[in-house]
Amino acid sequence: MNLTPSDIAAVALSMKIAITATLISLPFGFAVAGLIVFGQFRGKVLLEVLVNLPLTLPPVVIGYFLLLLLGKHGWAGSALRAAGIEIIFTWKAAVIASATVGFPLLVRSIRLGMDSIDRQLLQASRSLGAPWYDTLATIVLPLSFRGMLAGSSLMFARSLGEFGATIIVAGNIPGLTQTIPLAIYDYASSPTGTTMALSLCLVSVVLSVAILFVHEGIGKKLEDGRSQ
Amino acid sequence: MKTTRHSFLRVVMLLCAFMTTAMPAMAGQLNLSAAASLKESINEMTDKYTAKHPGTTFVKNFGASGALAGQIENGAPADLFISASTEWMDYLKNKKLVDASSEKNFAYNLLVFAGATSKKVTGMNDLAGLDKIAIGSPKSVPAGDYAMQALKKAGLDQKLTGKLVMGKDVRECLMYAELGEVDGSFVYRTDALQAKKAKILFTVPDELYSRVTYPMALTSTGARNSEAKAFIEWLQSGEARSILKKYGFVLK
Repeated sequence: MNLTPSDIAAVALSMKIAITATLISLPFGFAVAGLIVFGQFRGKVLLEVLVNLPLTLPPVVIGYFLLLLLGKHGWAGSALRAAGIEIIFTWKAAVIASATVGFPLLVRSIRLGMDSIDRQLLQASRSLGAPWYDTLATIVLPLSFRGMLAGSSLMFARSLGEFGATIIVAGNIPGLTQTIPLAIYDYASSPTGTTMALSLCLVSVVLSVAILFVHEGIGKKLEDGRSQ
Repeated sequence: MKTTRHSFLRVVMLLCAFMTTAMPAMAGQLNLSAAASLKESINEMTDKYTAKHPGTTFVKNFGASGALAGQIENGAPADLFISASTEWMDYLKNKKLVDASSEKNFAYNLLVFAGATSKKVTGMNDLAGLDKIAIGSPKSVPAGDYAMQALKKAGLDQKLTGKLVMGKDVRECLMYAELGEVDGSFVYRTDALQAKKAKILFTVPDELYSRVTYPMALTSTGARNSEAKAFIEWLQSGEARSILKKYGFVLK
C-alpha cells in the first residue's frame, strides 16, 4: 500500500472537516433535540420533518440547494461576498455540507438519549424552583451525554464518507477540499488508478472501524460509570 | 394466513421474472462512447445519419475519455469509441478491446482558457493571480491532461496548488466557468464557442502541450457489426466533416 502526499493530505483534510462539522453541530443538535423532546408548540411536526429531510434527500440535492443558497449568485451568497466571506469551493463549504447531511443523525441519537430521562427528575427540579436553563445545564445535559456521544460518532463517520453534497458545493480541489471519498472517486474514474483507489479505500475502512471501536468503548465506560 | 402467503409468493415471483427479463438488443442499435466535447456535433451527426438510414439508431454515452475507456474495459457495451486523446485509444488497443485496423483520426482541437471573470487574464503568466481555476482531472480527462502538460511546461503547476478545481469532464469545467464559481477553466476552443457567459481569455500556446487529437475506432464487438462499419465510414465523409467544421473543430 503506497500513499502519495496528496492522499495523505486527503486523509488529514477528511479528519479536519469531520471533526469541525461535528463540533459545530453539537450545540445546535442539542438545542433542536431538546425542543423536539421537551417543547410543546405548533409546528413541531414541521420541525421534525425539516430536521429529518437531509436523511431522505439525495446528498447531491442537498449540495445543490446549498450552492443555490451560498453561491455567488445565491440567496445569501451576495451578502456573504460583500462581507468578504468566501464559502463555495473552500473547506468551509465542505464542513457545511457534512454538517447538513449529518445533522439528522445527531439529533436522532440525542433525542433517544433525552427520551430516556426520567421526567420526574425534571419535575422535581422545577418544584425546587430551578429556572429552565438551570435544569437544562445541570440535569438534561449530563443525562444526554450518552446520546450526544453516540450521535457525534455517527455524525463523524458520516462526515468522513460524505461525497455528493461535498463535490457540488466544495468542488474537488486537491489540498483544499479533496477529502478521501473525492480522492477515491478521482482514482476510480481512471482505469489506471484502481490500485491507488484500493489503498485509500483501505484507509477509509480502518478509520471507520477505529471510530466504531472508540464509540463502543466510551459507551461502555459510561455504562459502567453509571451503574456504580 | 394462507392467502397472504400466496400473494406474497406471487409478488416475489413477479419481481424475479421482471429482473431476469433481458432487454432485447434492437437490431440496428449502435452504442457510441464519445468524448464529452463531442456532444453537440455527434448528436447532429447521428440525427442526420438516422434520417438517411432509418434502420440505425444510436445509444450515446458522453464522458471523459479515460472514464469511457474504463467502462469499455469493464464490459460496457460499445461499438464505436471516440477519444479526445491518443492515450486512451492506445490503452484500449493494448488490451485488445478495439480493432486497431479501424482506427482513424476524427478531428483535432485547440486548448483555450475561458472564463467570465473581470480580472485581466491575457496569458499563462496571469494565472497565478487568480483564485480558482477549473481543470479536468488529469487522471481521466484528456483536456485536464493537456492543461497539466501546459502548466508543467510553463513552470506554473507548483504555484497553483490549492487553486485547481478538478472537473470530471471538460463540460463540468465549462459549467464552473459559466457559473462564475471559478475565474476560468481550461477547455477546448469548441467548448468555449458553446459558452454563453464565459469567453475565451487566451489560447494556450501550441508548444506547451501535445496536439489535441480525437482518434476513433471500432471496438472488438463493433468490428463484427456491419452497421458500425458503415457508420465509421460515414464519419469520414464530407457531410460529417462539414458538421465538425461548423462546431469549430480542426480537420487536418
